[in-house]
Amino acid sequence: MANQETQLVDELLLKGRRRMLTLGAASLAGMAFSAVAPRSAQAATTYTDNDILNFALNLEFLESNFYYLAAFGCTIDKPNAAAITAGAPSAGIPITGSVGTAGTVSGGSKVPFTTITAGSYATETAIEEGKHVIALQSALGSLAVAQPAINLGTAWQMLAAAANTLTPAGNIPATFSPYTNDNTFLIGAYVFEDVGVTAYHGAASLLTGSNTTLPVAAGILAVEAYHAGLIRTSINALDPTGSVGLQGYTTSISNLRAALAYKALLGVATTPSTTYDNNPDDYGLAPVQVSLAGAANVTATHILDADLTASDPINSICFARNTTQVLNIVTGGGATNAGGTAVVSPATGVFFPAGLNGLFK
Amino acid sequence: MTAPQLLEAKAHPAFLDTCVSAHRHRKPPNRRQIVDTLDSLVNKALSRRNFLAGAGAVAATAAVTGCSNTNTTPVVSGYTDADILNFALNLEYLEAQFYLYAATGKGLAAADTAAPTGYTGSYTMGTVTTTGNIAVGQVAGLTPAQQQILNEIAYEEQQHVRFLRSALGSAAVPMPSIDLTFFSSLAVAAKITTSATGATAFTPYDNFNDFLIGSFIFEDVGVTAYSGAAPLISAKGVAAGYLTAAAGILAVEAYHAAYVRTAITAIGINTNSAAYINIANQVATLRDTLTVGETSSVETKLVLPATVTSPSAIVAAAPSNAVGFARNVNQVHHIVYGNAAVGTKSGGFFPNGTNSIFATTTA
Repeated sequence: MANQETQLVDELLLKGRRRMLTLGAASLAGMAFSAVAPRSAQAATTYTDNDILNFALNLEFLESNFYYLAAFGCTIDKPNAAAITAGAPSAGIPITGSVGTAGTVSGGSKVPFTTITAGSYATETAIEEGKHVIALQSALGSLAVAQPAINLGTAWQMLAAAANTLTPAGNIPATFSPYTNDNTFLIGAYVFEDVGVTAYHGAASLLTGSNTTLPVAAGILAVEAYHAGLIRTSINALDPTGSVGLQGYTTSISNLRAALAYKALLGVATTPSTTYDNNPDDYGLAPVQVSLAGAANVTATHILDADLTASDPINSICFARNTTQVLNIVTGGGATNAGGTAVVSPATGVFFPAGLNGLFK
Repeated sequence: MTAPQLLEAKAHPAFLDTCVSAHRHRKPPNRRQIVDTLDSLVNKALSRRNFLAGAGAVAATAAVTGCSNTNTTPVVSGYTDADILNFALNLEYLEAQFYLYAATGKGLAAADTAAPTGYTGSYTMGTVTTTGNIAVGQVAGLTPAQQQILNEIAYEEQQHVRFLRSALGSAAVPMPSIDLTFFSSLAVAAKITTSATGATAFTPYDNFNDFLIGSFIFEDVGVTAYSGAAPLISAKGVAAGYLTAAAGILAVEAYHAAYVRTAITAIGINTNSAAYINIANQVATLRDTLTVGETSSVETKLVLPATVTSPSAIVAAAPSNAVGFARNVNQVHHIVYGNAAVGTKSGGFFPNGTNSIFATTTA
């Protein structure tokens, strides 16, 4: 049930339509106990709820097309028989809108699933992601943005290359494709899912001044974390020791996400690190050593995406990210701060070659 | 209720009990209703207090028409942010003890369970029951991979105990008495087995699959408990970072729940048998029964996908709107006490009750 949270965003934010939210560092003052405290301004400092919905819609276009392609081999606007059988609307999902010209989806193909675990997950998620697009469009009405241009083909190789330029270098094959088999599909899904947890955890923090948005934000966060937990559990089960190679991929992806999230803070943080790893906010599935009350220094899995090292006084609690950090991740660094105080906009790259449609871009 | 009555209510908890008990028939709103309530609340910019009444939290049961007017202002207003965090701490004590014993055969260190220095409250440190209907100990027959998973969850729950105690400082309540043998009785209530003792009794400590069932009993509940409790934190507590911390722990609980649900589903797929899925769903049915006052189910049953094109049901959320579920403090207590009776003060996993202002169920 991927990204059911967007239905909630939809529902919730429509209730408070036009309610102005001012975000930024000042709003984050209450994060003393947070595992990570984003310090940068958002890509836009003032916006309406519709802008948030449209930001979510951009991301839903991305995810729904990924899962549709993986599960059925088609895009959301042109469902094939398999998609319709699984529950996709036969007329397809609209991709036009009032802002921007409907972009095309490049790349992507049906995964030849052989395991029920991965296949059932893809099928379920694809249909639900499509419904989320519809729900957001319905909520936004004439204000809905068009589908931006989406790259679900060469984007994966771009991500792999980016991960491999880090120190330590990632180990994702230069030709990586999530559409190869069940395992690679799960890795592709891994790229998206933990990001959602951090995004909604960050949003919950920002919304703490509101008495109304909080409980729904909590519900959103829970659903996102369920889904991230599913993906990480599935990959861990396939490669508990790292011998299969999937575990190494997760570490590479998490290192990249942490680097991109940290990059979004450059120019705002007082002394940016050049290695990004002095305060990572993302961890792959490599096991760690922990100390339990009755057993010191034992090996533990890393299914939870949190810092599990004892040196961090606030560990075992999920991370939070702001929208600039999320944007920087999905554009592969396209929102990187130029070195001053402004974030580069529009952010383009990787999954969004022409950027997003709407205010947040 | 008039302002003077509210003040009186704050000063005299017994008065609150009377008011609340007179209106036990009032059901807390379900999630759907909560969202509807949000609509009006946002538009009307109502106060936090009124929001709480609509949030399905403990306050929601306290619309005391018999004691005052028919407004929805909560009268269970005597709690503090510390009470909310301590409620969570009680649950973390339980989870940490269960997972630590399952992983290592030993529980929390004494330093993590005793009343903190400077504690002035009335609660005392309890004990952990590890013998009785079933023997509590490290789960038998674990593979190295399974052991590592237990180690991770145990560590994270242990850290949550430490984190909450740190956040609460001298206000942290000591660990209440905890009965880790209650699983066998709960299994009877869930109609998984017919005997809480003897060779046929259910125990989560004899193998990994049964451990997963034991874990399933807690994890979805933890998610809903944090979802229900987080909105109760005051603006001051929000500013202090309590809310962000609670949200972060909420996410962890959901990761854990997803792990358990995924693992049980995988057993079904790998064995082509719904046996464990059915057992877990019996637990879910029992939890629904114990979620006193719910107007619709707050459980999502697991399914066994038949083919690569069949959907799974890992995420627990309302089918109508995909909202993650929430439970109020009464409903959570009913579950951990294993008792749907209103007014229950103890039992089940907490033989002497929780060390919480919410220990006695009021609805």
